[in-house]
Amino acid sequence: MVCGNMAGLELLSDQGYRLDGRKASELRKVQARMGVFAQADGSAYLEQGNTKALAVVYGPHEIRGSRSWIRHDRAVINCQYSMATFSTAERKRRPHGDRKSTEMSLHLKQTFEAAVMTQLYPRSQIDIYVKILQSDGGNYSVCVNAATLAVIDAGIPMRDYVCACSVGFVDETPLADLCYAEESGGVSSLALALLPRGGQIALLQMDARLHQDHLDALIEAAMTACKGVGKVLDEVVRLHLKEVSVLTGE
Amino acid sequence: MIKTEKVLHLKSCRGRKVRVVREHYVRERVPCFSALCQADCDNHDGKVLPGDLTHYVVPDVGVVVDYLEILEFRELQGIVFTQTACQAVQHSKGRRQYNRLRTLLKDPRHDCVLFANEFQEYSYCPREKGERQEKWQTRCVYSAAVWYYNHLAGMRDVVMITEDQEAVAQYSSLHSGVYVISIKDFLENFWPELQAAHELYSSISQALQEKESEATEREYAEHLPAEVLEAGIKSGRYIQGTLNISKHRAHSEASIAAEGLSNKNSDLSCGVLVCSAKNRNRAVHGDVVAVELLPKSEWRGKDTALTERQGEEKSGEDGDRKPMPTGRVVGILQRNWRDYVVTFPPREGPQPQSRNSQRILVVPWDHRIPKIRISTQQADALQDHRVVVRIDSWESTSLYPNGHSVRVLGRAGELETEVQTILIENCIHVPPFSDAQLREMPVNSPERPWAVDAAEVAERRDLRRSHLVFSIDPRGCEDVDDTLSVRSLAGGKLLELGVHIADVTHFVPEGSLTDLEARTRSTTYYLADRRYDMLPAVLSADLCSLLGGVDRYAMSVMWELDAQTLAVDKVWYGRTLIRSSYQLHYELAQALLNGEPAEVPELDGLGSEERDAELARLTRSLETLTRVARHLRAQRDRGGALELEGVEVRAQLDEERNITALVPRQPLEVHETVAECMIYANHWVARKIQEAFPHQALLRRHPPPRQQFFSQLVDSAAARGFAIDTGSNKALADSLDQAVDPQDPLVNRLLRIMATTAMSQAVYFSTGLQSQDQFYHYGLALDRYTHFTSPIRRYADIVVHRLLAAALDVDRGLDPRRAVAGNKELEEAAHHINNKNRAAQQAQKLSTELFQCLYFKDRDPQSDRRCVADAVIYSIRDNGVLVFVPEYGVKGPVYMRSREGEVVAVGQDGCCEWQSGSVRRHSDHISTTSSCGTSTFRLFDHITVRISVRSLHCHADALNLEVIRNEPHRGAAEPQRPSSQGRSGLVQEVVRLAEEATQQAQEKAARRPKLSREEREFSQSKTPNLYSLLEEVRELALLDPEAASRVAAMTA
Repeated sequence: MVCGNMAGLELLSDQGYRLDGRKASELRKVQARMGVFAQADGSAYLEQGNTKALAVVYGPHEIRGSRSWIRHDRAVINCQYSMATFSTAERKRRPHGDRKSTEMSLHLKQTFEAAVMTQLYPRSQIDIYVKILQSDGGNYSVCVNAATLAVIDAGIPMRDYVCACSVGFVDETPLADLCYAEESGGVSSLALALLPRGGQIALLQMDARLHQDHLDALIEAAMTACKGVGKVLDEVVRLHLKEVSVLTGE
Repeated sequence: MIKTEKVLHLKSCRGRKVRVVREHYVRERVPCFSALCQADCDNHDGKVLPGDLTHYVVPDVGVVVDYLEILEFRELQGIVFTQTACQAVQHSKGRRQYNRLRTLLKDPRHDCVLFANEFQEYSYCPREKGERQEKWQTRCVYSAAVWYYNHLAGMRDVVMITEDQEAVAQYSSLHSGVYVISIKDFLENFWPELQAAHELYSSISQALQEKESEATEREYAEHLPAEVLEAGIKSGRYIQGTLNISKHRAHSEASIAAEGLSNKNSDLSCGVLVCSAKNRNRAVHGDVVAVELLPKSEWRGKDTALTERQGEEKSGEDGDRKPMPTGRVVGILQRNWRDYVVTFPPREGPQPQSRNSQRILVVPWDHRIPKIRISTQQADALQDHRVVVRIDSWESTSLYPNGHSVRVLGRAGELETEVQTILIENCIHVPPFSDAQLREMPVNSPERPWAVDAAEVAERRDLRRSHLVFSIDPRGCEDVDDTLSVRSLAGGKLLELGVHIADVTHFVPEGSLTDLEARTRSTTYYLADRRYDMLPAVLSADLCSLLGGVDRYAMSVMWELDAQTLAVDKVWYGRTLIRSSYQLHYELAQALLNGEPAEVPELDGLGSEERDAELARLTRSLETLTRVARHLRAQRDRGGALELEGVEVRAQLDEERNITALVPRQPLEVHETVAECMIYANHWVARKIQEAFPHQALLRRHPPPRQQFFSQLVDSAAARGFAIDTGSNKALADSLDQAVDPQDPLVNRLLRIMATTAMSQAVYFSTGLQSQDQFYHYGLALDRYTHFTSPIRRYADIVVHRLLAAALDVDRGLDPRRAVAGNKELEEAAHHINNKNRAAQQAQKLSTELFQCLYFKDRDPQSDRRCVADAVIYSIRDNGVLVFVPEYGVKGPVYMRSREGEVVAVGQDGCCEWQSGSVRRHSDHISTTSSCGTSTFRLFDHITVRISVRSLHCHADALNLEVIRNEPHRGAAEPQRPSSQGRSGLVQEVVRLAEEATQQAQEKAARRPKLSREEREFSQSKTPNLYSLLEEVRELALLDPEAASRVAAMTA
C-alpha cells in the first residue's frame, strides 16, 4: 500500500479544487487585530488560515548598541524573526537563531527598508520582532502582513501597505497562498511582497526550478493575490481606527 | 462565499503518530453535473448526467474501492462518485487504481461524474470524536446522496449502494427518495439482464472472502516500505527498473532493464539478472521494481542453451557463462497488472468436494505470468476454457497471487477463442462501434446520398477539373487513402506533382466520440484472417476513401518541380476537393507503363478513339510520375546513405516471391514509385509542421541501431567469409549487397533478416522532447519524417493532419481553430500510439503463428509430406541450432540433444536418429559425437526438418521442428507443389476449416448460433485479400516497422 507519500498527493483535482477545498486563486481566510500589546509602540496579530503570527514594533528610537550602525540620512531597521517552539507539529528545538530564521530576518529587513520612509528618522532605529505562533505554510508572507499592521499601529509612515503572498505552480496553474501541505508537496513556489497601489515589488524570492515561460503568469497571480491581501489589511486598519477613535472619543 | 473550518487528522508519517491540523473550506455552490439541475450550477466544464434516467446511483466507499470493475460497465448510467470515495481509492489502492478511476471519470463514453461532496457546505459532515473511519465515510456518502436528492428537488430518486449491511439497516428508511441497498440487490433489481456484471460481482466477492481467510505462513520476504525504497534508490543502494521475465525460462530467469542510474556503472548497463521465484519476490512481468544486488560470489550468467518452454532445470553448465550482476527484488514501486487470459486445468480424477475445491490454480496463457489462484463455483463447467482473469493481490504468505475471473472466452483450441485470447493478451480492445459513435457519422445511403457542402467547396481548392487524379492500390482495396496527380505547368517548364490524402479530420473532429475511439485503437488491427478498423466503415470504406468517379475531400501536398532538374520550386499544402478519375491497381498500372494492352474499366463506356486519347493521357502521367520517383530516389541515394532502406524492400520482395506462388505477381516498379511519392509527402509534411510548431510536432524517428546487436550478423557473415561493415547505414547496405553467395540466395536473405532484427524500432515522438539531431530516420536516411499518408488506418496521421491544418491557419494569419496540443500531451499521444502499434504487430505475429499451428495440427507429421520441409541453420546454440524454414516462413529451434541426453546422429544415407553421445558447440558449427561417428552442422547448412505441432493445453500451440536429414530437402528442388502455397494458402485453408466446423456445429446444435454471429461481427473481411497478404509480408520482415510502413504505403 502506498500512502502518506506527499509527492503523490493530488494538489489540484481535476475539478479544480485544492486539498483544503479552495480554488486555485482563492486565499486562505485572513483575520487580524492591531494593537494587541499596550507596552510596545506598535503590535499586531494576524492569522492567515492556520498560520498565526505576532508582530511587535519598537521605535523609532535612538540607536542601541554599536554606534557604527548609525546612518545619518535614515533610520536603521532591525528585524528579528522567530518561531515558537510549539508552532509546528513536532516541538521545535531551536526557536530562533538558526539559518532559516536568520535568512528570514534578513528578508524582512529588506522588505521593510523598501517600504518604510526611513529618511524621516535619521540616526534612529526601528525594531520589528515577529514570532510565528503556529506554522502552516506561507510563514514569510504572514510575517510581512503582520509586521505591516504593527508598523502602521506604531504610527511609522510607510509608502504603502506591504502585502505578501506566496504562489505555487501546479499542473500549469498558479496556486495562490500555499498551505503547508502544498508547500511540502514539491511545488515550486514563489514569495512576493508588493506595494499594491503602485504595483512596486518590495521583495521577490524563489528558490525552486521553474520554466522561464511560466514566470510571468506566476508573478501576475502573485500580484493579484497580494492585492487581495492588501484589501483585507486595509479593512482591518480602518476598523481599528474606528475602534480607537471611539475609545479616544474623537 | 468561503467559510473556514478546521479538521483534525491523525496521520502517521514515518511510523510516528503526528497530529496534523488542516484547514477545510466548504462552499455553497459546488457543481452537481446533472442536466436536471434547477439551481444553475456551473456544469459547463465536464460531463453532465442526462436527465432521462430513472435514478442516480451513489456508490459507497467500499463499493468503489473493491467493486470498481462493476461500475465500469457502460450500461450502468448516472453514477455519482463522491469525493470521499475517490480519496479512499487513492489512499487504500494506490495510484494505479486511482488513475483508472480518473480515466473513467474523464471518459465521455461512461455516464458518471464526480461530486466534490466534502467541499459542499451542506453535504459535508465533520468526523465525530471516536467515529470509525468507515462509518464516517459511509455517513459522508449518505449525506451526499441526500444532498443530491434535495438539490434536484426530488425529481430523481437516488440509490446509494453499499456493502455495509449495517448502513443498509441504519439509513434505508431515513429519507424517502434516497434508497440504500447492497450491490447484489441493486444488480438484481435494476440490471437483472446484465449477466456479466452478476458474474463479476460474485467472482470479486469470493476473492475478497478468500483474502480474509488467508493463512499466515510466509512464503516471501516482505516488501520494504515506499519511503525506504525511495531513499535507497536515491542513494544508489537499490536499482529501479522494469522486471522483464525471460520467455523461455519463465520460472527461473528474469532481468531488469535499469533506468537512468545505470550508466554510472558499466556493469549494470546490460541489466540485472534476477534468478528464481524467491528472489523475484512476487513481482510480475512488467512491474516496476527495486532490486538489491547480491554479493559478487552469487552472480550468475544467462543460459544460452535452448530449452523447452516448460523451463526445465538446467545445471552444471556454468562454465562458459559470463556472470552478470544478479540481484533480488526488495520492493515493488508500481504494479503493472493487466487482464490475463488463463486456462482452467483439467481435473485429474474425481476430487473430493472439500472446502478447497473451489480454489483453483489457473495457468495463464502468457508463460511469464505465474499461476493465479482464483476461487469459483464454476470450476467444473469451465474446464478447458479460456477465461479472462485479473490479479487482486499477492500476499507474502501466498505462493501464488490471488485473482478473480472476469469473462469467459470459450473453449481452448477453438479459433474464435484463440483469436480473442491474442487480442486480450495484447491489451487490444475492439468493441463494435457504439450507436452514439455511429450517430456522429455522416449518412451516405441510396435514399440520402452524401454530397459535398457548398461552403466547403468555397473553402477548398477545387482540383476536380484541373487535375488528373488517380490512385494506385492493391486489387480490391476498399480504403483508398492516397491519390496522385502530375501535370506540366508553364508550357512544360515546370512539373506539378500532387499527393492527395483523404481528409479524415474533416469528418472526425477532435474530441468527438469517434476521435476518442480512434485514438484508443490508434491503428487498424490486421490479423491473419480479419481486421478491426480504426474508423467506422462508413468513413473508412466510403466517405473518406478516395474512390474513383466521386467527389471527395482531400488534404494535398503539391510540389512544383523544374521539369528538367526536378528541383523543388514551390510547395503548396492545403485542403482540396478532388475526384479521382482512375482507381488503378498495381498490375494494371505497370501494364500501362510497359505499354502492354490493358483494360481500364473506367474507359469502358467510351468510343475507341476517345478511349485511346484518354489512355495516352493516363499513360503519360504514369510515365512522368515514374520518372519523378526515380529521380527522387536517386536524389536521396546521393544525399544520404539510403541504400539500407532499399535493401529492406528487396528483402521483402524476396519474400514476395514466396507468396507469388499463390498470386502470380512480380515485384513491380510501380510499387516503388507510389511508395517514393508517399515518403516524399511524409517528409515534406514533417518539415512543414516541424517548422510551424518546433516544440510540438509529431514526427517519427528511427534511431540508429546499437552496434552490439550486429554481433550475430557479423559473426554469421564471417562464417561464410563475408565482412560486414556496420559503421553507418550506407556502409551496412553496401556490405550487405556484396555478401551474396551465388550458390545459395538464402544466405543473403538470412543476413538481411538478421540485419533487420538488429534495427531498433522507429517511434513517434514530439519534437519538444528530443534535440534536433535525434530526429534522424536511419532507415530512410531523412532528417525529418512523419506519417501523413494513411489517416484512415493510423491515428498518428490524423494528428499530423490536424497539425498541418493548424500550421496552414497560422500561415494565413488566423488563429488555429483549436489550440494545438502541447508538447506533453503530444508526447503522451505518441507514447500511446507506439504502444498500440507494438501491440498490433505482436497480435499479428501471434495470429500468424496460430494459423501455422492450426494448419499443421490436423496433419500427421509421419505421413504427410507437407510436414517435411527444407530449413537453413542461422544460429548455433549450446544444445541445438536455430533454423529458418523458407517455405512456411517459420523460425524455430532444432535440438541436437534431447532431454534424455541423446544426440542427433547422422547415418550413412543422411538420415538422422537419436543416439546417446555428446554435443560440442563451436562458433560457426555444432558437432555431435555418437557411436556412428561425428557429424557436424554448420551455419547456413540446409537440412530437412519435420514440422509437427506441440499441443500445449494452457498456452498457444507451438511448432516443433525436428531434423530428419542433414541435407537439403529434395522436395525443395521440385517446382512449387500446388498443395502447399506458403502462408496465405495456409490461412485460407485454416479459415475454411474453421468455418466448416462452425457450420457443422450450427447444424448440429441450433442452440449455439453465437459463434457465427461473432464472426460476422468481428471479421469484416474474412477471405484473405491482397491486403492481408501484404500484411503477411510486413510480418515476415521481422516486425521492422519501417519496412512495414513501406509496404503499408504501397498497399494503401
